Amino acid sequence: MSKNKHVLFGLYDDDEILLDAVKEARNQKLDIMDVFTPFPVHGLDPALGLSESRLHISGFVFGLLGALTAFGFMTWIMVVDWPIIYGGKPYWAVPSFIPITFELTVLFSAVGMVIVFYTICGLGPGVNSVILDPRITDDKFCIAFDVTNVDESEQSELKKFFEQSGASEINNKTI
Amino acid sequence: MQTFSFAANERKFFGICMVIGVVSLLAIYLTDDPLHSRFWSNILQNGTLFIGVAFISLFLYSAKIIAYSGWHVQFKRLLESYSLFLGIGVIIMAILGLGTVFGFHSLYEWNQPHLVEKDVIIQGKSPFLNWQWYMFATIVFGGSWYFVSRQLRALSLKEDQEGDMSFTIHKKMKIWAAIMLPLGGFTSAAAIWLWTMSLDAHWYSTLYGWYTAASWLVIAVAFMILTIIYLKSRGYYPKVTSDHMHDLGKYLFAFSVFWTYLWFSQYMLIWYANIGEATIYFHHRHEHYPFLFYANVAINFLIPFFVLLRNDTKRKNGTLIFVSIAVIIGHWIDFFLMVKPGVHYTTNKILMTTGAESAAAELTRYTIPGILDFGVFIGFIGLFGYFVFTSLAKAPLVPAKDPYLEESLHHHVV
Repeated sequence: MSKNKHVLFGLYDDDEILLDAVKEARNQKLDIMDVFTPFPVHGLDPALGLSESRLHISGFVFGLLGALTAFGFMTWIMVVDWPIIYGGKPYWAVPSFIPITFELTVLFSAVGMVIVFYTICGLGPGVNSVILDPRITDDKFCIAFDVTNVDESEQSELKKFFEQSGASEINNKTI
Repeated sequence: MQTFSFAANERKFFGICMVIGVVSLLAIYLTDDPLHSRFWSNILQNGTLFIGVAFISLFLYSAKIIAYSGWHVQFKRLLESYSLFLGIGVIIMAILGLGTVFGFHSLYEWNQPHLVEKDVIIQGKSPFLNWQWYMFATIVFGGSWYFVSRQLRALSLKEDQEGDMSFTIHKKMKIWAAIMLPLGGFTSAAAIWLWTMSLDAHWYSTLYGWYTAASWLVIAVAFMILTIIYLKSRGYYPKVTSDHMHDLGKYLFAFSVFWTYLWFSQYMLIWYANIGEATIYFHHRHEHYPFLFYANVAINFLIPFFVLLRNDTKRKNGTLIFVSIAVIIGHWIDFFLMVKPGVHYTTNKILMTTGAESAAAELTRYTIPGILDFGVFIGFIGLFGYFVFTSLAKAPLVPAKDPYLEESLHHHVV
């Protein structure tokens, strides 16, 4: 991190209040940095105007890679490198390759998506993630604004928004 | 609450479908082989397909009641109407059963005494493969499913009138659903052994019940998608959103993959073990029906898999309609492949032993579905559609007092 961020965030007690607050913030054209919830809230993504995640595209690409790897590797072994006749089958015995092709498709797409997800989110072993408030992993719902380059009057506007939309706490943090 | 009205042009449409079916059946009867195997096998193929759709709708409905499922409640009348078709399905299968008793068709090798007396394998199976069991399975098993479907329907309609916060009626529905799941699970497998697996009397597969049930599930979900989209286009079901369609699309996708998994499991084990008496089933289909053999997997796996893999294609009517129609035709071909080769083999064998070689040679013409076979399918769709729309019109489309109705009205998947 080159530069620290100053974050102003409000904590809400209930997901319904949070959802209404998010819609209100979008109406007032406030620039929400992020929303943190302890569990997935239905309807939050469309309310925030987020576009569909592209993570599954990486899943498809990795799956295809896994299928091709498994099928190609088995074909190379069984046909080119070390041909064996077993059970009277041809060298290129496609049906017997299918189960392993399936397994590697699942493995590649699952592991690949985890790696992509961790990379995008900056997570991983040894990374010390900053958390705004420990309670947002338990029972609090949080809307956060980036106020690094925001002057005092606008910050008071944001605080007023939090008060009006039913936030139970308003806090600052530098991350 | 809104009640569906069965419009005159819809009656006309399904009526024309039924006329096409009857004309096709008559034309087949007048032109096919001396044993009328094409005629009877068409009735068997479509009969098992549609009684299966009715049965699996009842099974799915029971599973949803037991699993506290809420999202489907708005259109649960569809599942009820489909499952009531069991009444007609049992009659169709019972006619085929009477054919095994009185011998007016010769679909089953185990029902031909002059073939069985020379055949040790079928003799060993004769305690199960006989007309008594066939009639028992059709009337008692099929009848018990129909009975449960009537009970659930009656309770569901009663709940509409008298439902209250104590949910006594819903608890009664839970009991019937809990009875239906094990009852249907075991008996449907036994019934399908008799109805279609015994067409290849020397062969058996322990996966067969699962395999046909998966086929039925895909068709039933595809019918549901098409019916809901049609009813929405007529202005019904205003609260059924693309979120519900998304979940139905997931069903279509998942059950298609499940079907493929079972198809492949059955195929690969037999291919791998390479035991003559097991491979005969696939050998016959592979040799005489090569196009359908591959088209079956291509239509029923590749189309739903690659079209419905994305998120947005499950939410759009166009792609859902396309895939639904594709898999309905695909699984009709699947049933064609289950029924026709066995009948073809048996009929040939009978004609050969009775010295009608020319007629046996004539039979090889019928290894791909002709226009008349599709005509019979259209006729059955007309019958099914007419029946379903009639029973939909008998009750409010949305069950007003189902305990899970609110959950269904606010269903979100994203």
